[in-house]
Amino acid sequence: MRRFLCLALALLIPPGAVAAEHHPDRPRASCAGPTLECATAATPVFAPDGGLWLAWVAGGMVSVARSGDLGRTFAPAVAVSPVIERIDAGPDARPQIVIDGSGRIVVAFAYFKDDNWNAQVLVATSVDGGATFAPPHPITDDPASQRFPTLVAGRAGDIFAAWTDKRTVAAARAQGLSPAGAALAFAWSKDGGASFTAARIARDSTCECCRLGVGFDSGDRPVILFRALFEGGVRDHGVVTFSDSANPGPVRRVSDDDWATNACPHQGPSLSIAASGTYHTAWFTQGRIRQGLFYARSTHGGERFSTPMALGTAARHPSRPAVLAVPGALWLAWKETDGQDTTIELMVSRDDGQTWSAPRAIARTAGASDHPLLVGDGHRAFLSWLTRADGYRLIPLEAAP
Amino acid sequence: MRPLLLAALLLLSLPALAAPPQPLDQPGWAALRSAHAGQPTIVHFWGLSCGPCLVELPEWGALLRQRPGLDLIVVEADQVEARPDRIAAVLDKAGLGQAKSRTLADPFDDRLRYRIDAGWAGELPLTLLIGRDGTVTRVLGGADFAAVRRWLNQQTEQHR
Repeated sequence: MRRFLCLALALLIPPGAVAAEHHPDRPRASCAGPTLECATAATPVFAPDGGLWLAWVAGGMVSVARSGDLGRTFAPAVAVSPVIERIDAGPDARPQIVIDGSGRIVVAFAYFKDDNWNAQVLVATSVDGGATFAPPHPITDDPASQRFPTLVAGRAGDIFAAWTDKRTVAAARAQGLSPAGAALAFAWSKDGGASFTAARIARDSTCECCRLGVGFDSGDRPVILFRALFEGGVRDHGVVTFSDSANPGPVRRVSDDDWATNACPHQGPSLSIAASGTYHTAWFTQGRIRQGLFYARSTHGGERFSTPMALGTAARHPSRPAVLAVPGALWLAWKETDGQDTTIELMVSRDDGQTWSAPRAIARTAGASDHPLLVGDGHRAFLSWLTRADGYRLIPLEAAP
Repeated sequence: MRPLLLAALLLLSLPALAAPPQPLDQPGWAALRSAHAGQPTIVHFWGLSCGPCLVELPEWGALLRQRPGLDLIVVEADQVEARPDRIAAVLDKAGLGQAKSRTLADPFDDRLRYRIDAGWAGELPLTLLIGRDGTVTRVLGGADFAAVRRWLNQQTEQHR
């Protein structure tokens, strides 16, 4: 563990001294290759063998690479897609990567297929341990726009996919209506992403520009946390727990923030369900009732939630929350900035979210950066963070100072 | 020579196309603020892949048509790769072909957003009404154009 501690300490060195050399304000145009350095978002997942896989979009293509030493070095990148014009790399979008029960590596991403920003979700699978990927194929044959795919592997090894889908909006438009938002679609794959069941709609009105939070409850039923579109254009959060693999239950409101807006918030929620069955949620709002980042938990299978707990220092604009439960610990991380430095703040709970440690900054950078993500290897939790000035970082949280 | 001359005449007779938008970075934002100091200025942030933005954009075009002297700067702030020709085409169609057009140099950079408006988490559309005295009024989401017109009238009255 000492090596991790050293790494974590090294990352905490004030960045002023190196910032000048790294040119954190360098325009993106100067970085056009397919390498991780040119990406604005990287998504991690641990394989059963302890290897860390990262997926990213850069140079017009999706790539993955494996690290056998917890993110310090990576094997040569493997192309998942050919060069595709306009892969969705919007503010809350990122490629998804999961590894199913048979060790197949499955990657999903969206790309804009026309000038009206209609997107399509594609899926590509590797059956040879990430050496090669089959050509990406659509997750559904419906022509309406799809964005924000999220993949999770269930305990049985099947893959559950959820995404935002415009098919009901398109149908309503055909009848002369002009509904806002999108629908929440889902499908299953039993063959490592090679094929999916016919897409179904779990809920009709959701925000069309925010990532989803997806997990499984203690009965291995899918749970989706999403920015819903409630009556009056209120973009507050809802959660839907499936009654079985094919049937979504009712939508329950996580919090009454009353954020009535016709803006694209570009900021979706985070969900983690602990082994205890407790739902842990974190989200951003600019609502009439509360503004900022919040955490709430449900010990009732998502039927009702605790009073939202505010996160972070308001003046430092806390954003991009991530929550992750691992055995013995529940972690919360988010980003703060003062316009110069950006820090990742971290809190831990040892009692399933009832009480929390004080927040502390565990990493900082002087340049642009991706959202902080939390990733577990089944036992331990890590912060996964891509920064422009300081590269990619994987920080083990228990060892962090 | 005649075909060349014809071609040149044809080119001259085409409406002036909007110049490709210049990227806006932190120094650029500071320069923009100081260049417009003392002038009521509207900075409107929008995105090509933002549905509500595209619905509202023609209303900004209408406002500019009504008030040709309006100091309006439109900034494409989507993180999704945006082609300059596509931005120009969408602005043209919305009646904003002659508006001052910029793009956000690096939407990946939270710090740039923070410098522009510490309360902005990247939601679009966002409009900043910057008064003569430098007071900034933030309008998140679709604007109430009656309120924008009132604000502009107040700014004019204050000047008298």
